[in-house]
Order: sequence, then C-alpha cells, then structure tokens
Amino acid sequence: LFKMAAAKTDYSPPGRPTLTSCLSRDKETFTCWWDPSDGDDGLQTTYALYYLKENSDVVHACPDYHTAGENSCYFDKNNTSIWVNYNITVAAANAHGSSFSEPVVVDVAYIVQPHTPENLTVVVLEDKDGTFFRVSWEPPHKADTRSGWITLVYELRAKLDGAEWEEHFAGQQKMFNLFSLRSGGTYLVQVRCKPIHGFWSEWSPPVNVTAPDAVPQERSTWII
Amino acid sequence: CDNGQASCQVLSLADLFDRVIQHSARMHGMSSDLHSQFEQYFLPSKNQIISKVNRNCHTSSILTPNGKENAQRLAGEELTEVILKLLWAWRDPLWHFHQSMAHHDDFNSFSSNKALAMSDLVHELRTGVEKVAEKMQNLGIISNLVNGLRSPELLLPSPVRPQWGLRNDYDLLFCLRRDSSKVQNYLKILKCRMVPENDC
Repeated sequence: LFKMAAAKTDYSPPGRPTLTSCLSRDKETFTCWWDPSDGDDGLQTTYALYYLKENSDVVHACPDYHTAGENSCYFDKNNTSIWVNYNITVAAANAHGSSFSEPVVVDVAYIVQPHTPENLTVVVLEDKDGTFFRVSWEPPHKADTRSGWITLVYELRAKLDGAEWEEHFAGQQKMFNLFSLRSGGTYLVQVRCKPIHGFWSEWSPPVNVTAPDAVPQERSTWII
Repeated sequence: CDNGQASCQVLSLADLFDRVIQHSARMHGMSSDLHSQFEQYFLPSKNQIISKVNRNCHTSSILTPNGKENAQRLAGEELTEVILKLLWAWRDPLWHFHQSMAHHDDFNSFSSNKALAMSDLVHELRTGVEKVAEKMQNLGIISNLVNGLRSPELLLPSPVRPQWGLRNDYDLLFCLRRDSSKVQNYLKILKCRMVPENDC
C-alpha cells in the first residue's frame, strides 16, 4: 500500500485541494482559504484560485495571495461586490498535471463573520435592589456599524467559578446588566457578535470580575 | 396625520426611518425563511442548486450599488429612488407567486400564506418609504425625485409573466431575498446619512 501511495505521488497530478471556507469580516472585503492536496511529496505543487462572477464568462485569478497568509486569497474592496455570486475554484498543479477543487458559490452578503467585539468592560454597580454588573463593549472596529452598512447583534455569557455558562441575548444594544449575582462570587464574562443573517464571531477574551460580599442576604435569595 | 387631531402625533424623520427599517428587516427575514423552506420542500438534493452561479432576476435591470462606497456615493434622491424601484418591481411577481404556490398542497399550508403576507409587507414598506421620501422633500433634505414619487417610471421593469415550474419559483425567492437585503441595507445607509445624530 505504501508503495502504491508513493508511486501515485511520484508520477501523477496532485490530489484535489479543498476550498474550506470563504468569510468576510466587514461586508466589504472577503477571504477564502483552502486545504492543500494530500501527498505533496516534494513535487512543488503550486496553488491558484480562480473565480467567475455571476452572469459573466470572464475567469479571474486571485487578486492577492499574501495579505491573508498561506493557502488563502484576499479580495479587497475593489475586488468585492456584494449581492453577486462568486463561483470559486482552487487549482493544484505540479509537474505532472493539475487538479481542481469542488467549486464553491458565495455571496458576500451571507458569509459575514465579524471579529470579536472590543473593549469589554464590566463595572460593579448598585441600586436600591442590590448589586449588579454593567457589561459594555464596542463593535469590532473593522465593522463599519456607524454608516449603517453592517448591523450587529450581541450575545454575552457569564460563568460563576465551577458553574455552567449562562447566555444572554443583548440585541443591538452594546450594554447589558447582569443581576442575581452570587455574593463574593468570581465571574468570567465574554461577548460575541453577528450580523442578523451571518455567523457568530469568536467569543471575546474573558473579563474576570468578582461580585462584592455586601449583597444583602435576603435580597439575593429573593432574586434567585 | 389627518385633520390636525390633538391625539395625532407627528412622527420625526428618525421615527419614520426606524419604522421602515423594521419593516425591511421583517421582509428580509421572511424572504430568507421562504427561500430556505422552499429548498427543504422541493429541492432535497441541494448541491445542484447551491452551485448555481447565474441568476436571472427580473430586477437585474435596476442599477443598484454593490458595495458600501458605491451606496454612499449616491445622492439621497438617487438611493431613495433605487429603493422605491426595487419595491415597485416586486408588486406583481409576489402576487403571481402566491397564485402559483396555491397549487402545491404540501407547501401551501403555511408558505403560500407567507407569500401573501410578504406581498402585503412589500406594499406597506413601499408606502412607508414614500412617506419618508415625502418628509425628506418637505424638510428640504433631498430635492424632488426625478421621476416623482409614484410615477409609472418606477414601475419598470415590466411585470414578470407568471411562469410555471419550481425552478422559476425558486429563482424568484432567491431574487426576493437578495432584493430585500439590498432594500434593508440602503435604508440603513440612508438613515445614517439623513439622521446622523443617532449612533447608527
């Protein structure tokens, strides 16, 4: 079996590469990534990405192989049209020939996965009903929410030491109050965002915060 | 607001914008649902559908900005007109789609009703956008639309003929989802430009 595999890589075109995903962080540019084909055994396989835009016969080559790192193609603003289908294929080539990935069709409008929200801040506040955390954050700076081009909704989660995560949907607000805190408990708080018809970002780095001991006993029991 | 009634409250431009944006969000949500429900019911083998690149939308003759900067470059009047053109263009096709769906028993029960609701929603949204445009004109923020608010010019392109076949219905829903996404985005861009005091 080993011999056969070796023979295959020595004298044949590369295996089919896989176009793994295409994502946009800002709805203005996007990036596609691929997995190199198997058995690239020193034959110096090279990769190229080609695409066709909706209702056009012109085949374009990837405009930028460098900006987004290895095995990727970056489409800057000038090469990105939204509400237009892109039919994308990756070609692998070596001295013996070439092979093509399964094509992928994407429209930038539906492949947006923003970066994580920024400046996550948790402040301990108190009102007549007791202590609570005021959690606030900013949208990822790459997403232009101020112009109205992209609208994000947020979700946060909090976890008491040794307990399960508790998730809260914040809608379009960039602030959320967490009540029913365990007196003296230490919490981890994270937030993430997504466009309504897109994908969730990664969770932000957690913020560690401890509820003060002074929460009145009967009050906290009552709230829980 | 009729007859200057005391209970009658004049809505600000920001409020009017919020209303139409909410409407457009519902339209986009509903068309996305219809689109995916249609896929589930009629097109169980998804591959051939997903890999289809070319779309023949009856609205493709309407020139629409295909990126943020293009949308921002358009004057308020022009962007308003693009939105209205898109909405006018969906009046007849949605009604035909509803008729066509009424013949499919399995799909009929909920989605056909949705198609009808969709048709109402588009009508309400168009009326709402016309009000917003009127308000902007009255406030002098935009000049009068080149073609006027309700002129037949906006009825372009000519209404699509009802065509039988799942492929056509599927394409129709695809185009509806895309156009409702455009309308929602353009409305937000317009609002943030016209009523910039809010953190858009």
